[in-house]
Amino acid sequence: MKLSVDGISVRFGAVLALSGIDLDFPPGEVAVLAGPNGAGKSTLMAVVLGLVEPDTGRLLVDGEDLVAAGARAHRRFRERIGYLPEAVAFAENLSGLEVMRFFARARGVGKARVHEVLEKVGLKEAARRAVRGYSRGMRQRLGLGIAILHEPELLILDEPTGGLDQQGLSTLWAVLDEWRSAGRRVLLSTHDLALIERRADRVHVISAGRLKASGTPDDLRRLAGLTIRVRVAMDDMKHAETLAGSLSQDLAVPVDLGEDEIGLSIPSSSVFAVIRAMDSAGVAGVRVEEPGLDAVYERLLEAP
Amino acid sequence: MTSRVARALVIHELLERVRDRWVMVITGLFVLLASGIGMYGRAAEESAAAVAAPSLVTLAAFLVPLVALVLGHDAIVGERERHTLGLLMSLPVGRGEVLLAKFLGRAMALAIAIVLGMGSAALLVEAGQRAVLLSLIGPTMLLGGAFLSIGMLVSTVAKRHATAASLAVSVWFLLVFFYDLGLLGLLVATDGAVSQDVIAGLVQINPAGLYRTGLLVQLSGATALEEMGLAVALPSTAVKAALWSAWLAGPLVIGGLLLGRRRAVTA
Repeated sequence: MKLSVDGISVRFGAVLALSGIDLDFPPGEVAVLAGPNGAGKSTLMAVVLGLVEPDTGRLLVDGEDLVAAGARAHRRFRERIGYLPEAVAFAENLSGLEVMRFFARARGVGKARVHEVLEKVGLKEAARRAVRGYSRGMRQRLGLGIAILHEPELLILDEPTGGLDQQGLSTLWAVLDEWRSAGRRVLLSTHDLALIERRADRVHVISAGRLKASGTPDDLRRLAGLTIRVRVAMDDMKHAETLAGSLSQDLAVPVDLGEDEIGLSIPSSSVFAVIRAMDSAGVAGVRVEEPGLDAVYERLLEAP
Repeated sequence: MTSRVARALVIHELLERVRDRWVMVITGLFVLLASGIGMYGRAAEESAAAVAAPSLVTLAAFLVPLVALVLGHDAIVGERERHTLGLLMSLPVGRGEVLLAKFLGRAMALAIAIVLGMGSAALLVEAGQRAVLLSLIGPTMLLGGAFLSIGMLVSTVAKRHATAASLAVSVWFLLVFFYDLGLLGLLVATDGAVSQDVIAGLVQINPAGLYRTGLLVQLSGATALEEMGLAVALPSTAVKAALWSAWLAGPLVIGGLLLGRRRAVTA
């Protein structure tokens, strides 16, 4: 399956929710939509799901534009999608098993798979309890189970970590890894930088409906102009001066000379070259400090 | 309905409604009141058809539309407010099908309530009189279905659950409570200038009026309306069938079209 959005714009009254978004979703990738609340992440997901009709733009699935093709084509596409909405909710007076069985019937999935998924998301014991007694994390796990029930080609997860405990997070990591290794796609939105750092193959930063940046976390660091800081503790500062001079020349990066250390601001691609240079100079005590993704986002969101 | 999702949704809706405490309470109330009427019919010297059936029709004409409207009014707007609509609409199903499936599931729950209420009254009268009371079940289901359909339309039009609830209660007051009073007022105000045929027509286009007049004639004979001062002919079976079909399908179709035209279904 080939999936991309092309020039998608959505306006709700005076609010421009999405403005000319172009994105590709290659197979085997976990794509993360990042950005502040109200940025347009959920709206973009809703467009992919066919829940919101864009004003302009195309949603291309295997070359077919589903926006132009209409509701029937979109309905067919939804056979291939699993969805976990933000703040997922269910019929409170039904049990987790009954809710799961409804979605299984709707998806044409057998009972064996229902029990397999309930076990996978850690709800086997609580399956016969009414949903009204579930914690937020349990509801989230039930939602995740429903999303993966029919092993969809595209998994859309809106803020999936909300309310998840450690067990739930482990399940989520396992699902993301499984989908990636099976060559399927995951599109998720999150504010959870740890999730992005650990599992995102590609991050799309959206703010006020506009795509600010796209790329791997390292690409974003580069785009944000934030470099990796390497600190080298030195015993002999005379030797430090010589080393600083040669590093500055070889790597073409500024080198600061401190009281008992030298510091370099380098792009992530140069980290191994610097460590090799240190090693051949017989220098130990090298410390690499990556700028946090919070700083990267702050910088990217500030950019015009 | 051929869609796998829609079929699953019918079962899901039925299961959810029969577990609903409010539906249980109102069904219990209907059973209680209907049983009371059944016991009264049994105790009366006249036949059940003459005593219990008209009372049961009056009870159903007030209670069933209210139950149906309450069942229907939150079908879409309630799901939207509970944040369950997005997950439902992410299934491979059309919006119109969702509305129809919800209608059918809720109609089944309503049918259970009607059968329990009417059935309990029928069980309490003499065995020979039961058929008369059981014959009320079908028309009562039509009445419930018509108001359920109106409730479903309300649920697609309203943006908030509270608005839908207010609209549903207003529809009940308007069509069940004030409609006949309004017609009476019209007769008085115009001093008979409005013909009886027009008044009869206006009675018949209201599903509550169609239900009451139809059953009144069925139970008490063709002269029942004349005894009430309405010297008019009832609509033919074909016209009645058309009116019931319009009330059952009309609001639902309009609701489906409105839902289908909405750009953001979950907003």
